Amino acid sequence: MSLVKPDIETITQRPAWFAAWPIARTALHLVFRRKLFWVLFAVALFSFLLMFGAIYLLATLRQEYKWLEEFITSRLKDLDGSGTTFLNFMKAQGTVTMILLAFAGSVLAGNDHSRGGLIFYLSRRIKLVHYGTGKLLAIGLLPSLTTTLPALILFIEYGLLGDTGMYFGEKYPIIFGILGYGALLSVAVGLLLFALVSWMPRPVPLVMLWGGLFVFLPILSRILTLTMREPGVRRRHALEESPWRLLDFWNDLYIIGNKFFGVDKPLFIGATIVVCSVCVVSVIAIFVRLRQLQHQS
Amino acid sequence: MTPLFEIESLTHRYGSVLALDDLSLSVEPGAIGLVGQNGAGKSTLIKILLGLVRHTAGTVRVYGSDVTRNGVGLRGRIGYMPEREGVLPGLNGIEYVGLAGELNGMPRKQSLRRAHELLSQLGLEEARYRRLENYSAGMVQRIKLAATLVHDPDLLLLDEPTSGLDPDGRTAMLSLLKSLSQRPGKSLLFSTHLLGDIEHVCRHTIIMEKGRVAASESLDEMLVGKADAYLLRWKNAGDAANDVYLAALQQAGAEVSPGEEIGQARAVVPAEWSTRQFFHLARQAEVTLTGLEPEEMDLRTVYRRLVGMETAMPPLVDLAKRGESGVTS
Repeated sequence: MSLVKPDIETITQRPAWFAAWPIARTALHLVFRRKLFWVLFAVALFSFLLMFGAIYLLATLRQEYKWLEEFITSRLKDLDGSGTTFLNFMKAQGTVTMILLAFAGSVLAGNDHSRGGLIFYLSRRIKLVHYGTGKLLAIGLLPSLTTTLPALILFIEYGLLGDTGMYFGEKYPIIFGILGYGALLSVAVGLLLFALVSWMPRPVPLVMLWGGLFVFLPILSRILTLTMREPGVRRRHALEESPWRLLDFWNDLYIIGNKFFGVDKPLFIGATIVVCSVCVVSVIAIFVRLRQLQHQS
Repeated sequence: MTPLFEIESLTHRYGSVLALDDLSLSVEPGAIGLVGQNGAGKSTLIKILLGLVRHTAGTVRVYGSDVTRNGVGLRGRIGYMPEREGVLPGLNGIEYVGLAGELNGMPRKQSLRRAHELLSQLGLEEARYRRLENYSAGMVQRIKLAATLVHDPDLLLLDEPTSGLDPDGRTAMLSLLKSLSQRPGKSLLFSTHLLGDIEHVCRHTIIMEKGRVAASESLDEMLVGKADAYLLRWKNAGDAANDVYLAALQQAGAEVSPGEEIGQARAVVPAEWSTRQFFHLARQAEVTLTGLEPEEMDLRTVYRRLVGMETAMPPLVDLAKRGESGVTS
């Protein structure tokens, strides 16, 4: 064996884009080693298990008390197996997903910026864009673990425990809805988190800012919506139609997400503008910061 | 032979700070030492050679290829070991080196196999599954070297590789670097403050000063031909006799630099100079020469002289006290 010439065959050199996956895999690996991640992930799975159990219970009721099952699903749209069931489940995962991302952000990318790990990556046969893609892939996969993947499992469960052929035959577009909404969540939230981590790599300020965006702004949005509503406008309508609701980023994603399931929601254009603007600003912020760090390193 | 790197009129600014100032250089492959004070521009030069930092003006070619246009391709042939940064806490040794290989385009299997080989070779076999944050300073330097070597690069750019090592670790690292530099087709550029390390490993030395190249030549050339300097010490040296002796030396063609104290000087003499002349002139000036030594030229001396740090003559050994004379008349 030799330090210079390997005993193995000639060193292979694959295209630089192949480096994105090792970067993402390593970032996820670092997150999975944290106990806190598994605690938060268990919390995230709690509502999934509740839904899983509820679907199972409904399937049992369908066999013995069909009227009861019909009564429940007519009252609870979240359990009727339509697109809304999975859409609302994914939306409901928002809080815990945001908490998970806030704590994982520093491990996923922040340490590279605060502890000089960036130079390790950029001194190899890759460009900034390959590094950024790898990190975005890692950040984007985390929300998928708590939203898209459980929603797909619930969809499959719903089909398998009911009239399988008919359910999958009729409701297959729901899969595209789940994947589309999941991709939207991953890309938009991933870009936003990566941008914030790039400028604010330390965990505490990051958690505070992230909490401000996903806890404070939604509360503020509701308060403004309800206090500014016209007299006579119902609370439910105000919460769906007031432009102040656009301050809630997760809700904006939900409004766009409805489109993937064929549902039109008010404020769609406004939500699209907000989400697109956030994504564009995030991309610019990431690029500028990484360039800056590259030259400082 | 294609030069290892060619630099023409390279200038680089960090905002208003001039890091590299119209630097031109061409170096053949081999083991090259890069020395200079803090802020001399060594690290900036290395990062420009690596294509990490885009220079403000000038042309930089490594292996004949422009670093601005072909930075990624060149990095496949280069291994870079940064001084302090570049460690990813949370990973173990194998994962770290394996990842470095994958980022250089190697398939995972091949990269891991190579990582195992290298860690065994570098004495990190036992620690390969230990997390990097639990490594000692010496182990960190070795694991970084392994990550640098994993894709079998043609050129190693090493920034202070012996920094933070204990004496044994430093010796081992230097031997390793020397053996690496002697392999055919492999070159290394070794940046350090420790001039002894350069003498141990390198054949060519670049001395940098305030963003410019103060010297770039082979170590032999740097030391040979500059050795016609002598350190003198004499007695009975009143101010007048002292001045007479110094003037006589200068009239005879020597370049004289007075020492810190009266009765000391450093003299650079012409090639045809005979050491007897020192004694002859001393007798004429009525001083007694008590010390005469050819100046030992090492890289440190050359470096100090080139970067203008030689403010005083180094201390002389008093030959009279030692009971020996350098040269007899």
